[in-house]
Amino acid sequence: MPVPPADSARLPVLTRRKLLQGGGVLMVGVALYRLQTAGPVGRSLNPAMLNSWIEIRPDNTVLLRTGNSDFGQGTVFTAYRQIVAEELNMSIEAITTIVTGDTDRTPDGGGSYGFLEAGSPNVRKAAAYTYQALLDLGAERLGVPREKLVGEDGAFSVGGRRVTYGDLVKGRDLTLTISVQERWPAGMRIVGDPPTKPVSQYKIIGKSIDNSAIKSKVSATEQWVTDVRLPEMWHARIVRPATLGSKLVSAGAVDSKAFPTARIVVKGDLVAVVSPDEWEASQAALQVTGDTKWTEWQGLPTNAGLYETLRKADWASTPVQQGKNSKEGIRPLLDGAARTLKATYQVPYMKHAPIGPTMAVADVRDDVTTVYTHTQNAQMLRRQIAQMLGVGLDEVVIRTFAGPGHYGRSNGGNAGAEDEAVILSKELGRPVRVQWTRAEDMQWSTQSPAAFSDIEIGLDAKGRMIAFQVDHHMPAMNDNRLIGAVLAGLPTLPPPTEKPPVYGKSTLNLLWDRWTYEGTTEIMERAHGTRQIGQDASPLAIGLRDHSMRSPGQFQQNFARELAISEAAALAGADPLEFRIRHATDPRVVGVLEAVRDASGWQPRPSPAPDHASDGERPVRGRGVSMLYRLDSYWASVCEVSLVPSTGVVTVERCVVAVDPGIVINPKQLQRQVEGGVTMGLSQALKEEVMFDQSGVTATDWAGYPILTMAEMPEIKVVLLNRPEVGCYGGGSEGGNVLAAPAIAAAIHDATGKILRRFPFTPANVLPVLGSG
Amino acid sequence: MVTIVVNGAETPVKSSPDTPLLHVLRNELGLTGPQFGCGLAQCGACSVLLGDEEVRSCVLPLAEAVGKAITTLEGLPGRWARSRGAPSHGESPLHPVQQAWIEEQTPLCGFCQSGMMIKATELLEHTPEPTTAQIKEAFTTSGPSPHLCRCGSYTAIIEAVHRASAIMREG
Repeated sequence: MPVPPADSARLPVLTRRKLLQGGGVLMVGVALYRLQTAGPVGRSLNPAMLNSWIEIRPDNTVLLRTGNSDFGQGTVFTAYRQIVAEELNMSIEAITTIVTGDTDRTPDGGGSYGFLEAGSPNVRKAAAYTYQALLDLGAERLGVPREKLVGEDGAFSVGGRRVTYGDLVKGRDLTLTISVQERWPAGMRIVGDPPTKPVSQYKIIGKSIDNSAIKSKVSATEQWVTDVRLPEMWHARIVRPATLGSKLVSAGAVDSKAFPTARIVVKGDLVAVVSPDEWEASQAALQVTGDTKWTEWQGLPTNAGLYETLRKADWASTPVQQGKNSKEGIRPLLDGAARTLKATYQVPYMKHAPIGPTMAVADVRDDVTTVYTHTQNAQMLRRQIAQMLGVGLDEVVIRTFAGPGHYGRSNGGNAGAEDEAVILSKELGRPVRVQWTRAEDMQWSTQSPAAFSDIEIGLDAKGRMIAFQVDHHMPAMNDNRLIGAVLAGLPTLPPPTEKPPVYGKSTLNLLWDRWTYEGTTEIMERAHGTRQIGQDASPLAIGLRDHSMRSPGQFQQNFARELAISEAAALAGADPLEFRIRHATDPRVVGVLEAVRDASGWQPRPSPAPDHASDGERPVRGRGVSMLYRLDSYWASVCEVSLVPSTGVVTVERCVVAVDPGIVINPKQLQRQVEGGVTMGLSQALKEEVMFDQSGVTATDWAGYPILTMAEMPEIKVVLLNRPEVGCYGGGSEGGNVLAAPAIAAAIHDATGKILRRFPFTPANVLPVLGSG
Repeated sequence: MVTIVVNGAETPVKSSPDTPLLHVLRNELGLTGPQFGCGLAQCGACSVLLGDEEVRSCVLPLAEAVGKAITTLEGLPGRWARSRGAPSHGESPLHPVQQAWIEEQTPLCGFCQSGMMIKATELLEHTPEPTTAQIKEAFTTSGPSPHLCRCGSYTAIIEAVHRASAIMREG
């Protein structure tokens, strides 16, 4: 994803890395760095050592290290293994060990997102370089030119003689260096272009191999982050400020009769209760909460005032970003168009809402602080913890484990509890486990930012889209601050402001949603940013803190864009799917739309449906379409809904999705990822909105922030389009959640003739629109 | 000190009687299949079987679990073995529900899936051949709350329950 230039001066950085950019070729047996294994340099791996990425072991198995961690995408356990096995000409079973996300045991992988589009080149190159080295070793051992060798099932065979890769490395002190570049904050990138296997020769990529992490999770042998228990470890619960702007007046005391081993720890506005027993910590924290006094604060607009507040926010101080094909001077086309659409679209705040509230364990020692967590960006968290403690990077180690998916919330470093565990461990001189409650996770975590978009579309007399203009508005995303550090008054990143330049910390908004209707060339796309709501007013500088959430920014922008395109089609009296195809030029855009058309049995006609109705107790039906380009993948969906006008209840009956990711690496896994993404999107569209009052988020549990249940599941039909000729791996884990909201809104229009330009599509939002003239 | 029966074994525990069973299982007994999701019986991540009924261990005081057979995710293979009269000690093969969850590649992040598998086991013991509607009902309205999955694995779960049903009928 495009990011503003980084100001790394604010965070400690390993300067050593800059010295490691080597000569650009793989060298076998040339000892630039005398490391026999991928051992630590200080408390980091040397990323210029090939075996920091991939190790061939004497038993002819392979260990793969990736700085990314898995949150249910499964890519590191499926696609990455397949890519490695393919390039090495080994069986998938030979790729036995995957080490993920630990800062002392993997090369810096940056944030865990874009696994295929951005992350797979490293894996592929590491495997390809390793294969080249194996060819050299095999040629030497077998006494034949390397051109005569082709690996098969982890071995080279010539004239009846066979040597396995494991045999080639056995007992050898091999030093293989590669050239790497640090692309902070995106992690290490392997540079150079080793020969890779032609797509036409793929044998393992394209097969539905199992996700190797699933068996351990299903059979209760996985070590989850929630399972980490250290000797002498204590449990902690945090007593949160009464509002998002409250300062501590006085902390309560632990009732030592009721809770004999519990203690209170106060540091600035950070109040915690600790105990060797988790239940005691939990109960004592409730008691202390009742006795702790905070100042009052009311500085938020409430849900009712949100969009008015957003509209009036300072959008002028942050540089406006334009889409790359935007043109000045399209105003006359809009003004002179035969028909025009001019509308505003709204997206609510939404929670990442992991099924498990965030937690972490920290162990602060004199020489090293170790944090056990489930972050999506371990190296960034390491920098942040080092900054908070005022220590060098080599004094911090982050270990990552399987944890509840949280969909982007921690890809700037912290998932929420890590810094608090560190602060308390330092204070107590023992390991501490901080477990947030469900209420804390709802009220004190970041969320997906609310947004609005103003769109104008001009049509000519024949119903062709001759001009498109959009102004997307969204407050700052990616507030990466350590919340415990903020409360405790310890050093951490500043809140997002207009000043660039710390990664993800500015108010800059970007054009996340690529224009896919390139037949219309007269377009103007602008993205406007501003500060987070409540950030400046709160004495804690904590308002509604935002962070990227699955398809960040693009979710907000694509909802507006795709619904507006459906409305434009209606204005043109055209079928919305054919209208899209007619305005597309990229064959992959056309292809994915045709695929969803055919798979859904789509019958062309304009919206609304001939029998549409916006009143009565009889259910009405409608269908809508949406499309998306994201991370080298093309997506399209058709949603079919029924709606009872008298109640405003919307039911999605069927959802058909087509995906073209280029090369389909693993059909079964892709299918499951697509189903998952689409289901989350249905949940967002039908149910999700963060409710807040003037003091903070009012939702404390799943009743206050409901998500989709199984009973509400429609049939989901997934069509995978494999295009080996494209030659690249597009992402399939993410974009699926974008599709439902604009398609359902279009389907509601189809069914009722009424346009609902905001979601969730709950009766509270649907009924007023149905009743409108 | 009380004794509870967990996964077929009598197990003495020290936790106070008001401690939620989930904390006893995870912190004292190291049975980490059930997960802490909400502490409010609203999500099902912590589900265990009490006898043959799915309960939320995050709100069940230890005292109320005494005298009843508790089955966690770890105990599903033994439960399946016992139900077929096979010896349940040592390494039992995975429960058909677990087999089906793997064959269908059901979990995404997997955090909710221990509770989902417990619910599936309860359902299949009562209703060996559930319809899709019965599966949806079981996972949504039969318990104290719907079983929630944030990653969106509901479709995969429905398919896995049907598959587990087929495996169980094959015996």
